[in-house]
Amino acid sequence: MVIDTAAMLGRQIHWPLLGAIEVVQAAVLFGSAGALVLASLEHSHARVHLLLDRLSPRWQGVLLRLHQLFALVFFAGLLAGSAWLALDLWHGHEESELVRVPYRPLRMTLVLALLFLLGLAARRLLSRRPQ
Amino acid sequence: MTGPMIGTLGVVLLLLMLLIGTPIGVALGLVGLGGLVVTLGLEPALIKSAVLTFETMTRYELGTLPLFMLMAHLCFAAEASRDFFDVAARFLGHRRGGLAYASVAGCAGFGCINGSSLATTATIGLVALPEMRSRGYSDALATGSVAAGGTLGQMIPPSGALIVFGIVAEQSIGSLFTAAIVPGITQMLSYFLVIALLAWWRPSIAPALPRAGWRERFIALRRMIDIGLLVVLVTGGIVVGWLTPSEAAAVGASGAFLICIFRRRLTFATLQKALTETLKTSGLIYLVIIGALIFAAFVSVTGLTDSIASSIAGLGLGPVGTMLLVAVFLLLIGSVLDGLAMMLLTTPILLPLVADLGLSPIWFGIFLVRAMEIGFVHPPLGMNLYVIQGVAKDVPLLRIFKGVLPFLAADMVHLVLLIVFPVIAMGLLDWVGR
Repeated sequence: MVIDTAAMLGRQIHWPLLGAIEVVQAAVLFGSAGALVLASLEHSHARVHLLLDRLSPRWQGVLLRLHQLFALVFFAGLLAGSAWLALDLWHGHEESELVRVPYRPLRMTLVLALLFLLGLAARRLLSRRPQ
Repeated sequence: MTGPMIGTLGVVLLLLMLLIGTPIGVALGLVGLGGLVVTLGLEPALIKSAVLTFETMTRYELGTLPLFMLMAHLCFAAEASRDFFDVAARFLGHRRGGLAYASVAGCAGFGCINGSSLATTATIGLVALPEMRSRGYSDALATGSVAAGGTLGQMIPPSGALIVFGIVAEQSIGSLFTAAIVPGITQMLSYFLVIALLAWWRPSIAPALPRAGWRERFIALRRMIDIGLLVVLVTGGIVVGWLTPSEAAAVGASGAFLICIFRRRLTFATLQKALTETLKTSGLIYLVIIGALIFAAFVSVTGLTDSIASSIAGLGLGPVGTMLLVAVFLLLIGSVLDGLAMMLLTTPILLPLVADLGLSPIWFGIFLVRAMEIGFVHPPLGMNLYVIQGVAKDVPLLRIFKGVLPFLAADMVHLVLLIVFPVIAMGLLDWVGR
């Protein structure tokens, strides 16, 4: 927020803030990884309630476990692909063009966030009470 | 099995997963990933999905959404929602149906700082419903006007749905916001017309109040001048091209933060609540966007869209006929899926078709959001109706639906006008030269 506002003000007074977009891009990744983790922890993900709310608690439990299984497979797929890419590009020293923001910590953050989401889905799938 | 057949199977599977309540982002992503595995193989599918995820999570435009949400939460903490309704009520309350006009205008005003239909309905409902009911307005008109007016939150910039559409369809968010202004205003005017006709037909349902004096009006206006200036700066800045949407969102959030301090409404608790809510909602939407982009990649690989486009072209309906058909399809889908799910399921399929018809993707974004809004007020989903019932618990759902019916009719007419006269959305965009 501060960087974007400063960049806008800088542009208006002909004193551009070089690399603001690249810094914001990195901030977006850290913020979105945190947001994904928090939304999952708080069960805030959007879903269609048309059928789910009309089922008996037993069937709701079955479906909630099925959803966790779907989440587990999806996050496992994303994690596998992201870890693969991160390892492949580890020695490539990727960085942004203007202010040279290194990509390694960004890729690591994404991998860690996906690992957390995978663990959370696994824990919920195996818990006694369906979540 | 041919590509389009695999694509069709994927869409059916996705629909089933959504209907059994799978989180929308997970359903979109898993069907997309599974479909890519079937069509491309395991390794390319995993790499493609991972590349899309990383690219999405480092997209500059993605910062727009949480910043606009933070702006809305901070404005809410500064009690701006009441101000919009108060000003409209002081200026319009003395007319028959005046408080219903004020509710719709309050929704439009709050929609300028908030991009969600549900939040607008709940917020303005809390302020306007008790006022209207205590002044002798019929329950049907009071609840109907707020439920319908609440949908303006989704159309008037900054709109969360348009930001998501812009990211998924790779369209300029600034152009989408600019194109949404006139449809938002005409939608509000169509609701005004409905209220005027209802008040003329049955005057007892919407009694006039004593006229507020100019002093009272100016006091109400003065209270919202700070928020009003912020809205003008943010929306005007995007329209005239001073600000990119991301910058406008940052300026909006910074401005709302300063307004909170200025109004002495900023406490550690309100800030913490605003940040937590922003982060939670952003996480929800980010997962949906990532899932939607993986699903879109799958649909594009199967060639399903080309196959649908050629089938529809074979009908020879022309752009207007085709879009009317699409509107009926969207309204049917909107009866079983919520707005976000509907948008993300249909965008990858319909967008290439729209391009083939020579229509603008920006116009299509506005059309899609307009169709989404209708889903917010028509059963069986009609989320705004349930939100209103949460606020006015003693009003039966059937009466709320009865109240929203005339507005729903206006929505249908407005949607058809948007199809027949695309200039409603594209006129301002052309005029400002974007």
